[in-house]
Amino acid sequence: MSRPLRITIAESSEIIRRGLVATLKNIGTLQAEVHEVTEAGQLRSSLGWQQPDMLIINPSMISVLSLQQIRKDGMAQDIKCIALQTSLADASVTRSFDEVLSIYDSGEQIGDKLTRLMGRSETDKRHESLSQREKEVIVCVVKGMTNKQIADKLCLSAHTVVTHRRNISAKLDIHSTAGLTIYAIVNKLVELDEIDKAGQTE
Amino acid sequence: MDRIGKYRGSDKMADLVVNNYRTLLVMSRFGIGLGFAEHTIDEVCREHGVDTRTFMAVVNMLLHNEVTENDVLSVSPVSLLMYLHNSHDYFLGFRLPGIRHDLVRVLGNPEDDLTRAIINYFDQYVDEVRKHMSYEEEMVFPYVRNLLAGTQDGNYNIGIFHKHHDQVEAKLKEFKQILIKYYPGDSSNELNGVLFDIFNCEYDLASHNEIEDHLFIPLIENIEHKIRSTK
Repeated sequence: MSRPLRITIAESSEIIRRGLVATLKNIGTLQAEVHEVTEAGQLRSSLGWQQPDMLIINPSMISVLSLQQIRKDGMAQDIKCIALQTSLADASVTRSFDEVLSIYDSGEQIGDKLTRLMGRSETDKRHESLSQREKEVIVCVVKGMTNKQIADKLCLSAHTVVTHRRNISAKLDIHSTAGLTIYAIVNKLVELDEIDKAGQTE
Repeated sequence: MDRIGKYRGSDKMADLVVNNYRTLLVMSRFGIGLGFAEHTIDEVCREHGVDTRTFMAVVNMLLHNEVTENDVLSVSPVSLLMYLHNSHDYFLGFRLPGIRHDLVRVLGNPEDDLTRAIINYFDQYVDEVRKHMSYEEEMVFPYVRNLLAGTQDGNYNIGIFHKHHDQVEAKLKEFKQILIKYYPGDSSNELNGVLFDIFNCEYDLASHNEIEDHLFIPLIENIEHKIRSTK
């Protein structure tokens, strides 16, 4: 993932709030930056400032109407709203939320729910192996070629090269040329002599 | 800052260090050696000419990543400046060269392509850290020393530094990941040992950055503010 998930937790009980923060921290698959809101009055300004991806909120802190307002506000259009259920509640209260967490959920259940909610397109990419084209792009990158040069050599548009590079970074979680060089050598895509030569002829 | 977790200045230094071994990472940078006997944190700091509150604030950041507004107000700028300077020396003169030395030893044949690529990566990384720290030594620290002496350079302020301050440990994380995911070969105690050092160094660098962001910068902002309001 390129950046951690931003989560705002709005819950007035300190014990429950801290418990949830600690539980989220313990979910290995989740990289989250958690921000806490203790009272309904702070919510609006906090959302504008934090721009979270997810809001986990005690339904009692919010009326159904203002949940729509949060989404409409523009600053948080794509925000996922999750009800944090601490007591029995009428289904009509939780219906407008994207997901419901119960305080009896295990860390694993919470992790699954949040992961499902985010779609995980980027993490899924990590499990894909590199395409032949992407390997060719890596070889060019470690030889020090510019995007333009790579595009010319492989008969691609510069835009496509950029897309390939972005996908490579997402799949390998390597963001520097020096790092790709190590990857390329380990996987026998290239030998260091070729890189040195390429560097000299430039 | 008058306590570190449950420790106060009147508690024994040896207890603090034994129960929080990460404290060892910062001792030498304050010029404090071992052999505390039964002396308290306060006493040890005084013996070594270290401001106790600064020491406690730094250790608290290191162990608990905690800093309060009160800490910022009670820290001695001169002590903190000395600490940051010593930290730079420590990373560039001792810690990172030590890791490089171990890497070279562990990776074997220096002519090997992979060895060269890995060392090259590490050297590039150290260069970045050096640039990052030189900027602080050459631009930020002199500015702050002048500020403390009462002369403010009109062209610079700590906000400029704040904006440019990037995280030097991020790339070390990538390096570690590459070794773990892709380094071929049988399990090696030596390489694992070096990796362990890199993990520690990354933690230490992150903590160093946190101290700059959350203790040093607010402290200097405060001083700038005071000077402006008296003008």
